[in-house]
Amino acid sequence: MFEALWDNRDYVAAVVLFCIGLYVIIAKDNLIKKLLGLNIMETAVFAFIVTVGVVDGGEPPILGPGATPPYASPLPHALVLTGIVVAVSTTALALSLIIRIHRQCGTIEADELREME
Amino acid sequence: MYDWPHWLIVVIVAPLLGAALTPVVSLGDRRVAPWWALGVMTVTSVAAVMLVMRVSAEGPFSYLPGGWRPPYGIELRFDEFSASVIVICLIGWLAVLFSLRYIEWQPGMAKARVPYYYALLLLNLGGMNGFVVTGDLFNLFVFLEILSISSYALVAVSGERIAEMAAFKYLLMGAISSLLVLFAVGVILSVTGTLNMADVARQLTGSAHATPAVFALGMFTVGFMVKAALFPVHIWLPDAHAIAPSPVSAILSGLVVKMGIVGMVRLYQIYNTAGLIDLRALNEVLIWLGALSIVMGAFFAIFQDDIKLMLAYSTISNIGYIVMGLGLSTHYSVIGGVVHVFNHALIKAALFFAAGALIYRTGLRTLTALRGIGRTMPVTCFALSIGAISIVGIPPTAGFLCKWYIALGAFEADRPLFGFALIFGALFIFIYYIRMVNAFYFQQPTRPEVLEVSEAPASMLVPTVLLAALCLIMGILGRVPLAFIEPGATRLLAPLGG
Repeated sequence: MFEALWDNRDYVAAVVLFCIGLYVIIAKDNLIKKLLGLNIMETAVFAFIVTVGVVDGGEPPILGPGATPPYASPLPHALVLTGIVVAVSTTALALSLIIRIHRQCGTIEADELREME
Repeated sequence: MYDWPHWLIVVIVAPLLGAALTPVVSLGDRRVAPWWALGVMTVTSVAAVMLVMRVSAEGPFSYLPGGWRPPYGIELRFDEFSASVIVICLIGWLAVLFSLRYIEWQPGMAKARVPYYYALLLLNLGGMNGFVVTGDLFNLFVFLEILSISSYALVAVSGERIAEMAAFKYLLMGAISSLLVLFAVGVILSVTGTLNMADVARQLTGSAHATPAVFALGMFTVGFMVKAALFPVHIWLPDAHAIAPSPVSAILSGLVVKMGIVGMVRLYQIYNTAGLIDLRALNEVLIWLGALSIVMGAFFAIFQDDIKLMLAYSTISNIGYIVMGLGLSTHYSVIGGVVHVFNHALIKAALFFAAGALIYRTGLRTLTALRGIGRTMPVTCFALSIGAISIVGIPPTAGFLCKWYIALGAFEADRPLFGFALIFGALFIFIYYIRMVNAFYFQQPTRPEVLEVSEAPASMLVPTVLLAALCLIMGILGRVPLAFIEPGATRLLAPLGG
């Protein structure tokens, strides 16, 4: 059991990071902190997908003189790039919402906002 | 006509491109924006009709953008479940028409921003079209994000006091569920080395990696459950759907939450074909959560005075019906559940449009304040009543057949308890719609202005009445969608020996 976990420690790290992010979102009241928690979760998922593409002793998959197989899988990188774009737009939208919440209510603490409702 | 192969890409690209161009074409005159959106949606609807004609003639077919063969390229796959594009286009078209007057009136909405509203709306509809036709897991995630992020923004546009807070809550839960889906996609990629759904199913067959596949299935399910607003994770839905402008509420409640269901159907397609995991445990969870959603959604709806909040809770209840239908996994229940995806979209859009028309004319949104409105806005209130009896499931309306099929499925699966839960939920729903009809037609008005308003303008009346009429027509011609979806449902359940 522990050996299996140790062999896959990169995956375990991603899951732990994911849970830390989730904890921050649930436990913190400040909306910016919640957003940071979301970003930690995103990073965890991206890190996981990048590690999926690792091949032992793999070269960068760029053809040219001196390129020798085995190559690392390039597909996960393309996925993560797309994922980062999505994450940026989510973050941008969330930040603009936080700004508008602050303008309207004068606070970005979730517990104070709940009292106002 | 319908065998032109490129209709399948038109249905995605037209709204997405149209969305990007909306601010440009309306630079000179912002009143162009709605007509542009209407034109784009007309083109998309034509494509959708062609696609549905082709699938009913030939069965499922694929399109390979750029000619890259799967599993290397992205595959678009159109099957019976993808036929939801036609409902998406219909309601999208009507929502644009409805927005024409509504969004100009919407308080807190700057006039200069109106083109951006239509751009978001088109983006949302294009994302949904892409989501239901894609045959690639990562593509599924991308379209899920397109439709989700535009939904968060659309909730916030109303500018009402707690709109941003509701949108933020929606964003947090939605983003977490999207990340779960992405994580699961990564796990699937690491286990199978492919992202094409059909190929994933092939690779998973007899695969040695059952544990990660279970892990991925769990994350997919939770992710899609949040998107579909099933009972324990529904908390984002009522505020978001009630605060959004009414045409947006119709799209969110009628279509966007259904995308979680479509995702779930796609999962079942993969995992049933692979046969790697026994799905009975998952089915059990879905049946119970579905039943809980039915009862709790209906229960909360009874205590709402705000008409849109009431409709939002009833959405939770109806999602419960669909999920229970899927979970029961019998022939009848799956057909009933999937057809309810279509029919509930029509009914809920009709209800939200009618509610929007009432709010537009009176500025009031509680049942108490709207008492007696049936006298001054008879057509809107009649449409609302049709929608109401339809959602309760009184024959001969659209809601009846699906619920009947799901109940039949419950008895077929030898789970009569859930058949009774369904009937119990319908009774609850009946109570609160009786309350509504009673308030509109039989109670004395509490506000004098209710008696001075006139009937809703044509751009609102047409979508409302059309959808209400469809609720009746779909009840009478209910066999058509049931027969249409049957081959798809049979194929979904075939690997189980059902």
